[in-house]
Amino acid sequence: MHDTDTLTESSGDLAVDIAGLTRVEGEGSLRLKVRNGVVEQARLEIFEAPRYFERLVVGRTPDEVIDIVARICGICPVAYQMTAVHAFEHGLGIEIDPAVRALRRLLYCGEWIESHALHVYLLHLPDFLGYPSALDMAHDYRAAVEAGLTLKRAGNKLVEMIGGRAIHPVSVRVGGFSRSFRRTEVSALRETLTAALGIALQTVDLVAGLDTPEFERDGRLVALKHPHEYPMNEGRIVSSDGLDLALTDWRSEFAEQQVPWSNALQSRGRDGRPYLLGPSSRITLAGDQLHPTAAAALARTGLAGEIARNPYRSIVARAVELVDAAAEALDIIEAYQPPAEAATRWRPGPCSAAWATEAPRGLIFHAYELDEQGLVAHAQIVPPTSQNQAAIEADLAAFAPRVLHLSHDEATLRIEQLVRSYDPCISCATHFLDLRVENLP
Amino acid sequence: METQAPITPGRRGPRAGTPQRPRIGIVKFASCDGCQLTLLDLEDELLAIAARVDLVEFAEATSHRSAGPFDVLFVEGSISTPEQAEDIARLRAVSHRLVTIGACATAGGIQAIRNWFDHEEVRAVVYPQPGYVDSLAQARPVADFVAVDAELRGCPISPAQLREFLVALVTGRRPQLPDEAVCLECKRRGVVCVAVAQGIPCLGPVTRTGCGALCPAYGRGCYGCFGPRESANTASLAKWLSDDRSASDVGRLFAGFTAWSPPFRAMIDAHGGPPGQVIPVKETNDA
Amino acid sequence: MPAAYFLPRAELDRLFEALAVDGRRIIGPTIADGAVVYDELDSPAGLPHGWMADTAPGSYRLRSTGGERAFDYVVALTSWKRFTHPSLVPLTRSRRDGDQIVVEPIREDAPKLAFVGVRACELAALNIQERAMRAGPAGDPDHAARRDAALIVAVECAAATSTCFCTSMASGPEVDGGADLMLSELDDGFVVRVGSEAGAGVVGPLGLRVASPDAVDRAGTQVAAVRAAIGDPVPGDGLPERLRAALDHPHWAQVAERCLACANCTLVCPTCFCTSVGVASDLDGLDATTERSWDSCFSLGFGRVAGDANFRPKVRDRYRQWLTHKFSTWWDQFGSSGCVGCGRCIAWCPVGIDVRAELVAIAPATAPAGPIPWPLSPAEGRAPAALATAAPARHVIATVRSVMPETVDSATLRLVTTDEALLGARPGQFVMVEQPAFATPPISISRIRPDGLDLTIRSAGAATAVLTGLAAGAQVALRGPLGRGWPVEAAIGRDVVIVAGGIGLAPLRPVIEAVLAERPRFGAVRLYLGARTPHDRLFVAEMGEIAGRADVEVAEIVDRAGPEWLGRVGIVTQLFDQAKWDGSRATAFVCGPERMMQATVATLKGRGVDPAAMWLTLERNMACGVGTCGHCQLGPFFVCRDGPVFSVAELGTAFAREGL
Repeated sequence: MHDTDTLTESSGDLAVDIAGLTRVEGEGSLRLKVRNGVVEQARLEIFEAPRYFERLVVGRTPDEVIDIVARICGICPVAYQMTAVHAFEHGLGIEIDPAVRALRRLLYCGEWIESHALHVYLLHLPDFLGYPSALDMAHDYRAAVEAGLTLKRAGNKLVEMIGGRAIHPVSVRVGGFSRSFRRTEVSALRETLTAALGIALQTVDLVAGLDTPEFERDGRLVALKHPHEYPMNEGRIVSSDGLDLALTDWRSEFAEQQVPWSNALQSRGRDGRPYLLGPSSRITLAGDQLHPTAAAALARTGLAGEIARNPYRSIVARAVELVDAAAEALDIIEAYQPPAEAATRWRPGPCSAAWATEAPRGLIFHAYELDEQGLVAHAQIVPPTSQNQAAIEADLAAFAPRVLHLSHDEATLRIEQLVRSYDPCISCATHFLDLRVENLP
Repeated sequence: METQAPITPGRRGPRAGTPQRPRIGIVKFASCDGCQLTLLDLEDELLAIAARVDLVEFAEATSHRSAGPFDVLFVEGSISTPEQAEDIARLRAVSHRLVTIGACATAGGIQAIRNWFDHEEVRAVVYPQPGYVDSLAQARPVADFVAVDAELRGCPISPAQLREFLVALVTGRRPQLPDEAVCLECKRRGVVCVAVAQGIPCLGPVTRTGCGALCPAYGRGCYGCFGPRESANTASLAKWLSDDRSASDVGRLFAGFTAWSPPFRAMIDAHGGPPGQVIPVKETNDA
Repeated sequence: MPAAYFLPRAELDRLFEALAVDGRRIIGPTIADGAVVYDELDSPAGLPHGWMADTAPGSYRLRSTGGERAFDYVVALTSWKRFTHPSLVPLTRSRRDGDQIVVEPIREDAPKLAFVGVRACELAALNIQERAMRAGPAGDPDHAARRDAALIVAVECAAATSTCFCTSMASGPEVDGGADLMLSELDDGFVVRVGSEAGAGVVGPLGLRVASPDAVDRAGTQVAAVRAAIGDPVPGDGLPERLRAALDHPHWAQVAERCLACANCTLVCPTCFCTSVGVASDLDGLDATTERSWDSCFSLGFGRVAGDANFRPKVRDRYRQWLTHKFSTWWDQFGSSGCVGCGRCIAWCPVGIDVRAELVAIAPATAPAGPIPWPLSPAEGRAPAALATAAPARHVIATVRSVMPETVDSATLRLVTTDEALLGARPGQFVMVEQPAFATPPISISRIRPDGLDLTIRSAGAATAVLTGLAAGAQVALRGPLGRGWPVEAAIGRDVVIVAGGIGLAPLRPVIEAVLAERPRFGAVRLYLGARTPHDRLFVAEMGEIAGRADVEVAEIVDRAGPEWLGRVGIVTQLFDQAKWDGSRATAFVCGPERMMQATVATLKGRGVDPAAMWLTLERNMACGVGTCGHCQLGPFFVCRDGPVFSVAELGTAFAREGL
């Protein structure tokens, strides 16, 4: 299962074959082939087994779908639940209580904190500091790793409070939640989040000072944007080249497509262009809606421009979003008043449902057709990594020539580090990817 | 704002490790990564645990790799492709003890719902080019392929049970992993039974404890993610539930994350199979 | 003092204020998540005014009455045991530092509570559970403290629901004493009777007027109507005997088809008291706590013993265990029924099993009297008289002087202690051996020395593996001596037959030593020793020495052996099934695996040994050691408290009966 990395080097030739990518969610491999300085192939391949979620949700009720789609990803189950629940509520015309809306944003803040802390401290930071893992890194940077774990715990506590458990929470229901939350329960997390905000602010300073490879990409960025808040559950789809689209209309601009050389489904713009989602895109496109505390932290780094161009700076974007999520969560807790009812009552029925939200890794889109009984007849689930894959491969191709002069280890590290910059979630992406492993000659 | 300890590089902690630390591997098959993530979710004790065991294979968290041997191998995910069937056999051979973690590895997971469906049809719904997708006709639990020494249940597994298992491993005692019904934990917590007081269908009486009666405490019926408990009398519960709902709605209750476990599977079969057996007219995929 | 006062409805808050003096917290009925539960109340406003509960098998629904009454709901889901016998109670904290260990009991102060709204059936339940929890040599101190700290304000039922049957269990609906205050709710207020000095102290300062005869009369009429509404659904006369005669009734299997064994009935039951002990520790197992939590005879794990054997693998057996205990063997143990007819087990059964109907099916009032498997005896006549007087909650740290390997999987720990209770142990008694982070196994004492005890332990699980692996100088924590020992004195002047199988020789060795120490006082002494293989024989040298004596007959046999074994091969009963001795003059002491004991008892009976002179020691899952956790129940006995030594006559057909 875990072949050794291979790298052969001659003048202008390079073949990198990392058969088992580590510190990413799920199982994937990286293939890169450069001949005479020209990239012939840059491929992020997935051998994660298919799980057929779009088929599994057929015949299910909307509430069952919310439970099932969470299982696509153990790192970002809330993203799937949020996207599905908003799709159904929009499709069925269900109004939710403002307090429910606030709780959902709070829940999403928890997942952002948990997921970003995991990625920044446990998956990505070891690359910058030269360790194979955060556990090894802890020998020399114990305080940093402990701080990262405390931050991650704060995110998990938030998800646990609202959702019952950190992974695959249980309380999200169409119309609201399965139970209501008292003000005292919600405000019990104030101290935890205050501490988390402090760590998040220090995290920004820490990662802003990291030595980062020079690399500029010039691709299309896509994110949700909301007029009054940093995008999570609502907004419009915008891009770095002027797109402005209702989030239910994702399919009018983007599509899952087959790439001729890999038979893999990837999402691209309908014009075939790749695009990049995630923290860097959000900061670039919706940074004016950052919480003031996060905006100040970003300004202090002076890296807003670099975040838009250099994927290695995504770790700074994530850190700024950690600040944003912690600060937002504190605001929500302060203002929280319980909803009149845990959930709005609703009647099952037919509808076309579609929605997009901002997962930690970027925009996620769901579409469902419900039949006369209100059961799913057809589903489309587009996770962020499936949309990012084309951009990742394009960036790899653009970046590869820069490492030709480096040693075997250094080149491999830089390339892996670049892949990790996008925080690919392969478990999420699995349903659309080709599983054939094509051997290089 | 509270002052934090500095987290900038420089402060050094003690080097961990003694030679007799057990060699631990964590591998995954078809799954969501959530069960292995549960180890990382033991944030408060993660570094202390890592000092007491030798995590030689854990691709999600470390670039150290090992193909074995393992004192204990934790296996996440169901076996869903021919390669996975080969891999699990090879891993079994290099593992002193093999422990399945989570509903996918112990019961097949939610993807085992497709075991009732036509394999070709399932592939065609999701993949435009189904021929390129290599999967077994069924997603099955690890124990269908190799001997399993212990299992941690749940979708996902319980952090407390994982910790208990690791402590038992390190201290040499037997892990306390009760096989009783969720109801015991529900009553110990003083949760009002949602089935009796509100008529909400609940699998708690036939489901193994471990979650802390999570769903009833959150106002829902248990959906069985820890799988059947010992002596799970699913037939009696299904009969009782049939009084005020259709057969398909009874079968639907059991068709969750441990649907392929025999006591639940029997109820799904007895009530006409899982939801979604009728193939909808497929809309064309965007292209 | 007048018979009754009257508290106007509007002044209920004054009663609450009077109860709340000195920091006493008020626990009473309130609505949460669709049911009435008992929880902390700040004022009467939290009471379920105007709510009634409609109950049926497997169903509970609140219904608004539109009235003002606060206590029409009948009984809450929770019972008061949540406050007298909480679902989780920490027991000990232990710490290991090298060889040294410390084990300290954890004592939490019992909260000062007032229970408001206790029904007649619940009063009865509180008293029944108290008898059970105080039945051991020292009782359960936590329960006693909580019970003593509680002030009881009973409220007589003004309504019944379809699941009530207190009338059949003679526990209600009338409240006739047993509470500090007793209220009857009328539309305009409460008739208040005083039941104790503490109760008088509460109402005295309120300056209540005396209740009018009319009010007292209305209260009486009201509760009489409740009695009439309930009727007598389960005729109770002779029920304990009828049930124990029906142990093999085919209906048990029929119930088991419906029963989920989910344990809800036992956990909502106000008298069920069974618990299990869990261990939590730090990562290294150096700091640990034990805590007990509610458990149930409906769980498979509850009947599990070392080596993964199980006494009650089938749901049929578990249901029978519960029902026969509640309605029959409870009488043997505690002198009353274990059921008060509150109906919780009926309403909160997820599949609506109605214990009233099951009782009628299994033990109908018209059932002919069948053979009774064991004699019905009053609780006070039971074994406690034979118990040692050790305070069971006390841990004594003993030091390992030496460890002697006995067989491949067993060893003898020679422990040194100066504890007088331990040194005064009797042959056949046992100790609970606690170590930080491990389960606490019961271990029979294999020798009582002037300066300590020997424990011979077979490594059958993690805890016993650690114990057998200890080195000299290590410490263990002992709780005991516990249980009723061998009645060696009963054999004085009689022949003695000792039959041991494998590790079963360990608890018998003190008998052998006691008999040999006063050899002339006994008749013939015969020792029959069985083992799986020659390598599994215990105390080989000692037994060889005894075999050399002219006044003791020793015979050995092993189940299987290689050519190096020159002795007999077979089962232990082959040593004496052809013997010529006259069993009628013999007292027998037997210990070994359950099957071996069954065969031995049968063979000894054939030799003419009186069942009353045949003594066994039983292996059960003895967890608390003092009869309050329920694990080791066997028919009318708690093995830890009433045994583990029993005569075959005492056990009756409870011995070796499958599923008990």
